Amino acid sequence: MPPFKDDQIIIIAPGSETTVAQLGLPESFTPGKVRFRSRMFPAEKAGEFEPYKIRRKNEKSNGLSNDDAEEEKKPATEGEDDEIIWEEDRISEEGAIWPIEEGRIVDWPCFFALITHVYNTLNPPFHTAILLITQPAWTPREHEKLTQFFFEKFKTPAFGLMDAALATTWAYGVHTATVVDVGKNKTDVTAISEFIPQTQGRVVSLPGCGGEAFTAGLLSKLKTKGFNRDMCEQLKRSQICEILPLGSVLPGTGVAQEKDVITNPASAASTGATGSGPAGAATIGNIPRGPGVDTEVGEETAAEENEGVLDVASIVAGGKMNEYLAKKEKEKQDKALAKKKGAPAPDAANRQARLPNSRREKATFLYTDHALLDTLKNMDLGTQGLADAKSALNEVTGKQAQDHAENGDPTSATEANGTGEGSSGGPKTGSIKREIEVGTERFLSDSDGTLEKIAAAVHRSISSVDEVQKRSDLWDSLIICGNGSRLKGFKDALLQTLSSKYLISPSSATMFTSEIPSNISTPAGTGANTPQPQLGPHGGSQVNPLLFAATAGQNLHLTSHGGNPLMAGMSQNTHSSHGQTPTNIKVVKPPEYFPEWKEVGFDEAAFLGAQVAAKVIFVVDQGQSKGYMTRPDYNDQGPQGIHDYSL
Amino acid sequence: MNIPNSSTAPAAGEYAGDEVSAIVLDPGYSSTRAGFAGEDVPKSVCPSFYGQRDTDSGLHYAFGENAIHNPQDRLDIKNYWGSDGIVEDWDVATKLWEYAITDRLTGAKATDPTKNGLNDGNTNGDSMDVDIEALENNEKPLEESPLLITEPGWNSAKAREKYIEIAMEDWGAPAFFLQKTGVLAAFASGKASGIIIDVGASHTSVTPVLDGMVLRKGVQKSPLAGNFISNQIRQIFKQSSPEIPLTPHYLVKSKTQVDAGSPAQAAYKTFANPPTDSFRFNEEERVLTEFKESVVEVWPGPGRFSNGNNEEIARNTPGRPFEMPDGWNQVFSSERFRAAEGLFDASAALTSDTSPRPKDEHTIPRLVQAAVQQVDADQRPMLLANIVVTGGSTLLYKFNERLNYEINAIYPSTRNKLIAPGSVVERKYASWIGGSILASLGSFHQLWISRKEYEEHGAGIVEKRCR
Repeated sequence: MPPFKDDQIIIIAPGSETTVAQLGLPESFTPGKVRFRSRMFPAEKAGEFEPYKIRRKNEKSNGLSNDDAEEEKKPATEGEDDEIIWEEDRISEEGAIWPIEEGRIVDWPCFFALITHVYNTLNPPFHTAILLITQPAWTPREHEKLTQFFFEKFKTPAFGLMDAALATTWAYGVHTATVVDVGKNKTDVTAISEFIPQTQGRVVSLPGCGGEAFTAGLLSKLKTKGFNRDMCEQLKRSQICEILPLGSVLPGTGVAQEKDVITNPASAASTGATGSGPAGAATIGNIPRGPGVDTEVGEETAAEENEGVLDVASIVAGGKMNEYLAKKEKEKQDKALAKKKGAPAPDAANRQARLPNSRREKATFLYTDHALLDTLKNMDLGTQGLADAKSALNEVTGKQAQDHAENGDPTSATEANGTGEGSSGGPKTGSIKREIEVGTERFLSDSDGTLEKIAAAVHRSISSVDEVQKRSDLWDSLIICGNGSRLKGFKDALLQTLSSKYLISPSSATMFTSEIPSNISTPAGTGANTPQPQLGPHGGSQVNPLLFAATAGQNLHLTSHGGNPLMAGMSQNTHSSHGQTPTNIKVVKPPEYFPEWKEVGFDEAAFLGAQVAAKVIFVVDQGQSKGYMTRPDYNDQGPQGIHDYSL
Repeated sequence: MNIPNSSTAPAAGEYAGDEVSAIVLDPGYSSTRAGFAGEDVPKSVCPSFYGQRDTDSGLHYAFGENAIHNPQDRLDIKNYWGSDGIVEDWDVATKLWEYAITDRLTGAKATDPTKNGLNDGNTNGDSMDVDIEALENNEKPLEESPLLITEPGWNSAKAREKYIEIAMEDWGAPAFFLQKTGVLAAFASGKASGIIIDVGASHTSVTPVLDGMVLRKGVQKSPLAGNFISNQIRQIFKQSSPEIPLTPHYLVKSKTQVDAGSPAQAAYKTFANPPTDSFRFNEEERVLTEFKESVVEVWPGPGRFSNGNNEEIARNTPGRPFEMPDGWNQVFSSERFRAAEGLFDASAALTSDTSPRPKDEHTIPRLVQAAVQQVDADQRPMLLANIVVTGGSTLLYKFNERLNYEINAIYPSTRNKLIAPGSVVERKYASWIGGSILASLGSFHQLWISRKEYEEHGAGIVEKRCR
């Protein structure tokens, strides 16, 4: 009889942005049932926290109130106004405290409050074991602190800790892997060899390399067009934002250009100011500016329009809402008019729409305007007024929304990132949505070399694994996960960056060492003594293709030898433990047998791994493997004992 | 995963190791290791190199792997060790050690309450009290952990006092102990006596240990170690024709496959403010480390590499290819034996204007000889039967074969035995592991220098207690 049943297990995975939790293990593992934004709001009493922003309803004082929580507190403590009604604002995140930054817990009281909130939301029965997924940045002492908290606050009968990277490998069912976990504002790279995370050289919390970096990249490109951070964030999450493969040409450029030129025209065109990366700064000015390279036709007018369109919140706050609405209405009519005319313009638009996103010059996405909603709420409009304003400002009618859904717009994404409640439904009813158009900037989120930084970290992490012979396996099994890697095209681009910078090609001089005269002279720079005939890029090798095929035990690759650096058996280095890596870079295939996970993707594989692990350590092996600490253990050994138990 | 084995794990109450949760700090030239006593591998391994940025707002230090490999304007990469194998820059050493301990072991100090957003909402008087309290808590990062630090065998008395001062004054450790790396490496291999050959990054040392005590006059050290091999490789590159270019990774944007020996055709990065020379040097070292791991081989004997037709034999063995970060690649045949030959044969070392010929007495065989010379004649066979090999540079391919050959050549009549742990971790971190074992022993508790004793006797107590 196992000590716990499937439905008596809680899994909590805290993250910088999102905390995922679940009570009970379903028959077939599903993605975490409850999602929380990892933030709390300071409550009235210092040191206490509320899960939602509390704002005063029917506020008299205009404008001031949205400054800070402090403003709101004062009247309450003074108790001079009894009619104040407090309301929970479940969408706004103003003044929130985020207890986890770059994977580190920076605000412990807040973090504990968050965990308590999570626990209370799940409302588990008393006899429930807890498995907590730990971030790599948490230190052993912090593990002890957590253990103490869980046992003493929740009186849990059993508690276990599991490293996020290790959990990921459990999900994929592999024992050796390099886990690249791209988070909100950090990346962890962990080499795991035979179930053991290599602590040496583990890249823990590489700062500034996460989803946030891409948002910042977009922001730096789009700031001049009136985009704010929130817009960029939502743009990043939409389907139209993408990292294009290296060397691909931006749509609208027309002419194929060299790789390094690609990033430049846009930064020059969009900002005209210094690029954000040093490389960008260096190269700006080398490129001819002006139309023809990458500037969009009619950019100025677009910018003007955008000016008006994007700053709705401030317009509304400034009391010019009606004028704005009138203008908007006129635009709509104009559009309708144009449609009626049946001008050739829609044709062109349609043609654009049919192209894949990476080929389109411009694309639109739905923007949920929280700031606007906040402003409206603070304007004291009354319920009816609020609703009216909302519907007036909400550009996206039901039909349009549907269109977007068909276009593959981010219904699933919003769901996955659903705020507050955890009630993962469709788009929230209260929100205001608008359509925003962006140009090719959406492909340039990686403007300051985040990908390269991550690639360098992967290389560094694997290179510092002590056992040289294990490295090649680690390169063969990369796992790229974390919600920061959701960005379209990110994984492929990272792989490409890795290959183009670090992949070791088979040396032409050693295809078959025995066939080469041992005293090979250092070839002259001209390559004059490279033997003939020239076959492919590596014509220099004197390999008999038949012999090669025979020894490699493969089909004949007569033409491709040397041309395909990924071909197995090409590497000379395999003959001993000494050799350079990587000769091969591969990603691990995600598991096939979790249909629910397959739908949403394996970005949160750590949670799946934790489910597998929870099943194993709490249920299947009946506590034999000591994967968790029980209450008697805790009473005996105290928090320090956790190190003997955690996975 | 930590699955206790019922046949080996002692009961919790049997030894008192777990209760103290001592921290073991093992600083080396290349990396600084720190971890909790009783564990089998240091949890925190951070480079001893650090970044120093001289900006307008003053000096900024950057510690840890993440910080020092990022090309930045005016970022100097330095090391706190002096050329004599004794800590030179104590201020930075203190900071770096503290970083190594707090970052991965005990948790970072809480950020300053004025910055962490906790008090953003309330600017009233209450927060001030919190500030002071927090500051007091922050001041001493190691208040609850006894600290064991390792030191090189040739450490000066002054340096030793400095260690205890840092531990007691700066970190507020409740107890402290200092132990020599040689002894600890022997402990890690389960030996109380033996000769410890430690080939590290900056120094090679040979330490005779008898019953857990270092024979101080027998301690030998020489600068022929990992960094020396790196310099030899650099010279091999320079002296080959055409000169082999050494381009670190950060300069390369993407590389293209080229034929062996032909010039690289990579896309390079450009920097508006190119990183400093020291940064480049450190990044080049990483390439050289890879070269050492994958190409360099020690001539295993018999005889020296330059003897007879050994070179001819080496030339006929298959070469090893190496590809530079910029795509340049070549097969190294007999040259690869040359890089490490200087460790054993001073006359075989490559020399140049900047690197003179190493001294004969600095080669490893001569060091061993000199160390054994200082030991009583009747103890020698016992020591020679326990030769512990440790240090990262001993991982060079065929190093042990050669060492074995050399030692047997000097002492043909004794039974010489090399003890070299097969596991890389044990070889690299032997002295840390020894420290971990020592500090977790229940019987070690009486040896700690307690805070009270320190306050009573002052820093001089290390000389008396830690021999």
